[in-house]
Amino acid sequence: MAEKHGNHHKHHILAPKIIWTVWALLLIGTALTVGATHFHFGAVNYVIGILIATIKAALVVTFFMGLKYDSNENRVIFLTSFVFVAIFFVLTMSDLFFRGPVEFDNGRFLAAQEAHAAAQSSDPWISTPELVAKGKELYAAQCVVCHGVNGKGDGPAAGALNPKPRNFTAQAGWVNGRKPSEIFGSLTKGLNAMPSFATSPAPDRWALAHYVSTLGPSVLKDSPEDLKKVGAGNASGGGGGEKTLPIDLAIEIMSSEG
Amino acid sequence: MAHAPAMDGNRQYAHHFLSADHEFETSKQGIWLFLLQEVLFFSPLFVAYYVFRGLHPADWHAAAQLLDWRMGALNTVILICSSLTMALAVHGAQTSNKKKLVVNLILTLGLACGFLVVKYFEYTHKFHMGIYPAGAFTYEGLGQYPAAKLYFSIYYAMTGLHGIHVLGGMAVMLWVLKRAMRGEFNAHYYTPVEMTGLYWHFVDLVWIYLFPILYLLG
Amino acid sequence: MAHTSHDGENYLNHEKGLWSWLSTIDHKRIGVMYLFTVLVFFFIGGVAAMLVRAELFRPGLTLMTADTYNKMFTYHGTIMVFMVVIPLIPSAFGNFVLPMMLGAKDVAFPKLNLASYYVWLAGALVATASLVVNQLDTGWTFYTPYSIRTSTSASWVLLGAFIMGFGGIFTSLNFIATIHKLRAPGLTWGRLPLFVWASYATAIVQLLATPVLALTLFLVVLERSTGIGIFDPKLGGDPVLFQHFFWFYSHPAVYIMALPAMGIISEVIPVHARKQVFGYWAIALATFGIALVAFVVWGHHMFVSGQSELANFLFSLITMFVAVPTGVKVFSWVATLYKGDLHFRMPLLYAFAFIFVFTIGGLTGVFLAALGSNVHLTDTYFVVAHFHYVMVGGTIMGMLAGLHHWFPKMSGRMYSEGWARVSWFLVFMGFNITFFPQFIVGSQGMPRRYYDYVPEFTTLNQISSVGAWIIGVGFVLMALYLLHALFRGAKAPPNPWGAATLEWAQDSPPPFHNFDKDPVVTHGPYDYRTSH
Repeated sequence: MAEKHGNHHKHHILAPKIIWTVWALLLIGTALTVGATHFHFGAVNYVIGILIATIKAALVVTFFMGLKYDSNENRVIFLTSFVFVAIFFVLTMSDLFFRGPVEFDNGRFLAAQEAHAAAQSSDPWISTPELVAKGKELYAAQCVVCHGVNGKGDGPAAGALNPKPRNFTAQAGWVNGRKPSEIFGSLTKGLNAMPSFATSPAPDRWALAHYVSTLGPSVLKDSPEDLKKVGAGNASGGGGGEKTLPIDLAIEIMSSEG
Repeated sequence: MAHAPAMDGNRQYAHHFLSADHEFETSKQGIWLFLLQEVLFFSPLFVAYYVFRGLHPADWHAAAQLLDWRMGALNTVILICSSLTMALAVHGAQTSNKKKLVVNLILTLGLACGFLVVKYFEYTHKFHMGIYPAGAFTYEGLGQYPAAKLYFSIYYAMTGLHGIHVLGGMAVMLWVLKRAMRGEFNAHYYTPVEMTGLYWHFVDLVWIYLFPILYLLG
Repeated sequence: MAHTSHDGENYLNHEKGLWSWLSTIDHKRIGVMYLFTVLVFFFIGGVAAMLVRAELFRPGLTLMTADTYNKMFTYHGTIMVFMVVIPLIPSAFGNFVLPMMLGAKDVAFPKLNLASYYVWLAGALVATASLVVNQLDTGWTFYTPYSIRTSTSASWVLLGAFIMGFGGIFTSLNFIATIHKLRAPGLTWGRLPLFVWASYATAIVQLLATPVLALTLFLVVLERSTGIGIFDPKLGGDPVLFQHFFWFYSHPAVYIMALPAMGIISEVIPVHARKQVFGYWAIALATFGIALVAFVVWGHHMFVSGQSELANFLFSLITMFVAVPTGVKVFSWVATLYKGDLHFRMPLLYAFAFIFVFTIGGLTGVFLAALGSNVHLTDTYFVVAHFHYVMVGGTIMGMLAGLHHWFPKMSGRMYSEGWARVSWFLVFMGFNITFFPQFIVGSQGMPRRYYDYVPEFTTLNQISSVGAWIIGVGFVLMALYLLHALFRGAKAPPNPWGAATLEWAQDSPPPFHNFDKDPVVTHGPYDYRTSH
């Protein structure tokens, strides 16, 4: 500091013995790093490798570069750089590693939701055992209160409702029809006391529709025209995007609500 | 220039310092500040390395297998030895031992050349295989690992930047060697030797990390 | 400290001829060279701005093609950022004033100082060479992947910015070592002028951030020449990673621009209010608070880039903290003015302009830092207005305060207060007329970087263009009265403002060696009782 300028202090001279010892330790460290990779400890290998490198680096900085004998100012200066590198790492990673699944495909990134949805249920309007099973789960969670465990419209809350909840096991009385696409439509728009489930993902509504249709006396199939009516069968339609309505259906709802 | 140097014992120093020691300490701090900026200069490559390693661990692992760890280890040993000779050169200057200073500087320069020769063989071997940075990558053995070519981009960027630092260090060492042979350095004045040493150890320091992350732990 | 006579010898007439300037290692002359060069670039960048505003005077294609317009705003941005606003205060005023404030004869490494100037100049020339080769059209941010694909001369400008970066790095290194090692006896940390604190923090930020930008820009050059792929989605790279690297530097760069201006304001206000500065340590520490926060908020430039929601949340949250140290400073300045003996001379007038304009810039920053409103305002004229209020309002107003404060010291002449006030009025009013309407058109949805707009925005754009020309007239007037002062101005006394910092303790202009007798500091920088 300014006040001490006049003082002559001796520069530190690193003893040759220490120089040679540090050199030997660095060589041993290198041998250890190489040796350690021949054992497979999994992720621990990485930690060991970086740890040894850091010890070697510390030896170089402490003795060869003489930071042990240097001023506090210089120590703070050099170590500061690592603090800022750490900030750089952590905040960059907070983006790159938390973007949600992004997949690497032959030189192109694909938004994973697309790939994910495509792999799981590319056509949720076609009934599969998996979809029915998923529908059953959803039914147990969201529908039993009114429609009852067996779908007879006799859930604990049914008594309070007028008209009564639909009995799925009976042939008669279906306002919109029993085809999966028609059930999907009722779920999406709501019916009488039942609110709209449009905020649930479309594949979930399809799963429910498939499950409910298995409760009836016979399982009906959708024709392509039926599917078209609810906007299924194209990428942005009933099966694709999450929490979205098919556009024609959305327009229909808007016009009916005036 | 009209700045008349001042005298401190038998050693002259620039007029705006209070003593030769004051000048030495200030110069040394200058080098530490320079090294601080060097750490940050290398950092984006390390960030890029870990970003893509985290996103494509399998590709990274497959690509790293193509590097010959023996070459990397050899270069590590070469650089560690050059750090030794550099430290001995500084010791020679500090003890006014001109012969020790000059011999060790020459050894350090020789080892630096050795490092670059090994690097040259590594590079040309990779080029023959068609392993270039991503845009020119033609090697076909890693077809199922599309991100592997990014690994080599980063490999070339990191080792290339390090290589440039080695070259820069050698240029400075030649200048210091010339002055050392003229007998300009002694126990009272050896600032350039000390500064070159600090820089050279830093170059070694970078390699100490590059070796495991590129050759061993990919 | 007594003023001794030098028989008229000073740093300006100590040696004569162009070569004595080009080869000088005197920090004062290097500072003047920086100032001169930067002002030349300021003129070029300013002309580009005038042309941009002329094109936008009417909707539709009027003066230039869309391509030319893209190049025009790119040059305006690139020149103003890299060649004007970043080097302006640290390199020009920092070089001239800092060593004298410390009581030092020079910076720690005078030869490196001259080398920094030439490195920076070489970079600036390489970058401007692209003007004649094949003009750039990426905007000053060089976003990938467009900057990889564009057929314009991106590589030249990128290399130029890379080289200029090293000029800045060496200057910062020099200043830090100077502040650490060359303070006069008695000049304790608590007696450092606040401009020194600001330059210190700026130098640290610049030293830490610039290398990252340098390497990043070099990677883009490699991307263009060899296809290194790190930022190229076609090769599996990530273009948003470029934005992270770029803003890791370029956000702190905003503080490289603003902190020294704040330092000047902290210097000017106590001198011209004749009062001990309020909250010395609060200002000094807030300077470091801003410098630190500068490094952890860069992602707020990337809210709509596809960045993860976690990062968006973190960056938005941390950004709000910038307001705290900035608020501390503004409060301290206002408290210093309170019950002060105000002398409404040019530096103080510009300080007022700074506080007014910078506060608006800071407050509109809060709108942009909030995630929800950011989505609406991103890439609109609201952003353009915001950063002009911060960068022009901050840096340029601060610089003008400094220029009028130290002009007598640098040149040894006084300028005409009357004309200076007219010019101040034109610049200050013109600035607000130009940029305030841009907040409005921006919030109404006018996007930035288009040569055209819908007819509804015509009136506001015309007001804005007229404002730009008013600023232009103000600056021309300023150039005239300063040039007049340089040759015909009254001789300046050593300390025309009655300041207490060391640079005023010598003749104007200062002697070649700064001090005849090594100064010993016995009082604080704003202690006006012990100085005359």
